[in-house]
Amino acid sequence: MVARDKLNLLKDKFGPAILRADLPADDRLFVYIEPVVVRDVCRYMFGDMDARYIISIGADDRPFSGKFMVAHNFAFDPEKLLVSVLVHVPADNPKLDSISGVVPAANWAEREIRDMVGVEFEGHCYPKRLVLPDGWPDGVHPLRKDFAWNEVPKDFDDEREFKFDEPPAGCTVVPFGPFHPTLDEPAHFRLYVEGEMVRGCEYRGFMVHRGIEKLAESVLTYNDIPMMAERICGICGCVHNVAYAQAVESAAAIKPPPRAEYLRTVMLEIERLHSHLLWVGLACHIVGFDTLFMQSFRIREPIMWIAEKISGNRKTYGLCLIGGVRCDITPEMRTELRAVLDKLEAEWRPVVAAVLKDKNIQKRTRGIGVADKAACKRSGLIGPVARAAGVDIDCRRDHPYAVYDRVRFNVITDDGGDVWSRVVVRAKEVFEAIEIIRQCLDKMEPGPIQLDIKDELPIGRLGLSSVEAPRGESHHFVITGENNRPRRWRVRAPTYQNLQGVPAMIKDQQLADMTISLGSIDPCFSCTDRLETIDLKSGATKVWTQEELLKLVRAKKA
Amino acid sequence: MSVLSKLKETIVCLKAGRVTLPYPAQARPVPERFRGRPIFDAAKCTGCGGCANNCPAREILVFDVCQEVRVLQYLGRRCTYCGRCADVCPEKAVTMSHEFENATNAIGDIQQRIELFMSTCQRCGRCFKEPTTLDQLKMKGYRFDDVAHERWVFRSKAYLESEPVVDDIKIEWD
Repeated sequence: MVARDKLNLLKDKFGPAILRADLPADDRLFVYIEPVVVRDVCRYMFGDMDARYIISIGADDRPFSGKFMVAHNFAFDPEKLLVSVLVHVPADNPKLDSISGVVPAANWAEREIRDMVGVEFEGHCYPKRLVLPDGWPDGVHPLRKDFAWNEVPKDFDDEREFKFDEPPAGCTVVPFGPFHPTLDEPAHFRLYVEGEMVRGCEYRGFMVHRGIEKLAESVLTYNDIPMMAERICGICGCVHNVAYAQAVESAAAIKPPPRAEYLRTVMLEIERLHSHLLWVGLACHIVGFDTLFMQSFRIREPIMWIAEKISGNRKTYGLCLIGGVRCDITPEMRTELRAVLDKLEAEWRPVVAAVLKDKNIQKRTRGIGVADKAACKRSGLIGPVARAAGVDIDCRRDHPYAVYDRVRFNVITDDGGDVWSRVVVRAKEVFEAIEIIRQCLDKMEPGPIQLDIKDELPIGRLGLSSVEAPRGESHHFVITGENNRPRRWRVRAPTYQNLQGVPAMIKDQQLADMTISLGSIDPCFSCTDRLETIDLKSGATKVWTQEELLKLVRAKKA
Repeated sequence: MSVLSKLKETIVCLKAGRVTLPYPAQARPVPERFRGRPIFDAAKCTGCGGCANNCPAREILVFDVCQEVRVLQYLGRRCTYCGRCADVCPEKAVTMSHEFENATNAIGDIQQRIELFMSTCQRCGRCFKEPTTLDQLKMKGYRFDDVAHERWVFRSKAYLESEPVVDDIKIEWD
């Protein structure tokens, strides 16, 4: 009983400050503690007990317990345990000690809770607005239960501007993003550059925040959410779909039928295959090696076709409902999937053999964007980024879900910590994914794929689920609720943590290496704050300033 | 040996040959289970509203014009083609077609509207189209989704069984 051991350690140290503890299973632990000790408990767990920080969750629990709730989630990877440290914060004075000083990776999560739920974190190292748009009025918190899902705050100030930090002395500011041809989503990096060297940066993101969590807890129902969850990410949608379903199942103690678990595993690995091939291709594209970019995409295409054949769509599989899956694999599909895998393996092997010895790629990626073991621990980096730095974590092995405890596979690690190591890790993981699918196809027994759930799901239960997405651990937290929908659903995508490691990765390296060291995040120059227009007839030029442009835009809108 | 690597990479490219299709002149056939634009069959539909209740994007509206006429409207704008409507339809009146070239300037090309003639249940006074699946759906009262503004109206969560049958006709708004 690992959970019990860890709880005893905490009890020895903090005794009366631990109000309650739930151990619903061997691999889950929920500890309710007094607000005053939150920083000490987190310091102890993160430091002395060497837990990995996952995420913090804020919830408006006032209609039920009269208080706000904050949860700090940690993982003990070697011990296969997920721990949630829960604190209730009084509603009339929603303040809590910040843990960002002792757990640097909690920086964003606490700022997000401050924005969305309105719990102040005292002593936060960088208390700047993170998620809400610039014009959003202070003191209005959209994830509170008394804020309607379709409400627009009346005093939204369109003209309130974002205040950037002062750049360090001697540095020039170079804006990266928010829009760039190779960037799939807007993100703005304001780089501080000294000559050709990047000395630091300020990140500004959340420009496409869609409020899915709010929709889920106020409008959608349990079985609607998987289809929405899938659209959180364009590449690893199935991961969110499965993670959500598993979180609800773990909260409500539902066990899906074995065949459904096998099907989930197969689809997750199909997704990993296509995602790894896509990423390796894109990484090569960024360093200018388009030959491999084209070949990766060509080799990847049959995977998309077989996914379409099984699920009805290339990418949005629409796979899970609570307690099962929606599509089965017929014997013909099984044969075809095997053939696709054989062909993929045969084609990918020579590519990997060639690329791993290619000096040009190595020269461009070795020693670039380095995140070492300490950085991984500090910023909570996960997935291939952590594995490339020699941190041996993989949720599939450490926190097994679906049927990962019934298949054999290796966790690929490398020790460089740089972009090259990440290429190596992801290129090699393709073969492991192929092996996992083959084992699943061998072991899958006929049977039902969907559990018949007749009762309403229990209310007020907590569920955690970690799923290893191609990019890292995707973590979902669910509190079940009334009206056939969750009270709170928190999604932590892998990039949420990995992005926080970027400033350290790009520090003190060449500006030209910026794009590739961001790897899949790759932002670039584009956001210039001036524009020059030339009158073709007269040849007169006019330079527009930022203020003039903003005025022009706002005038058109009105 | 980088030169050797380059040679190997060249072989990979040469072996692949040409893989692109002359799309749109020739499209790849879609598989059997492909989820394209949903098609609603008025002849099979019994007006139970199951598709509307289960649509994650809230793209299907139900509006009772009067006791006898129920309108079912598919908006087709933010539909994600998840296929839940086809899954839950007890009459198999919704099929996920194989149409995927759905870009249009006129949203009416994609929208569908079904008007159903309903008869009246002797027990609860609600309208239904036989054979009924209403018992299974248990939702009471009429439906008045906001057709003018194309919005789903969130409605009564009361169930038929726990309520007296007699004054079942009143409409509850949330």
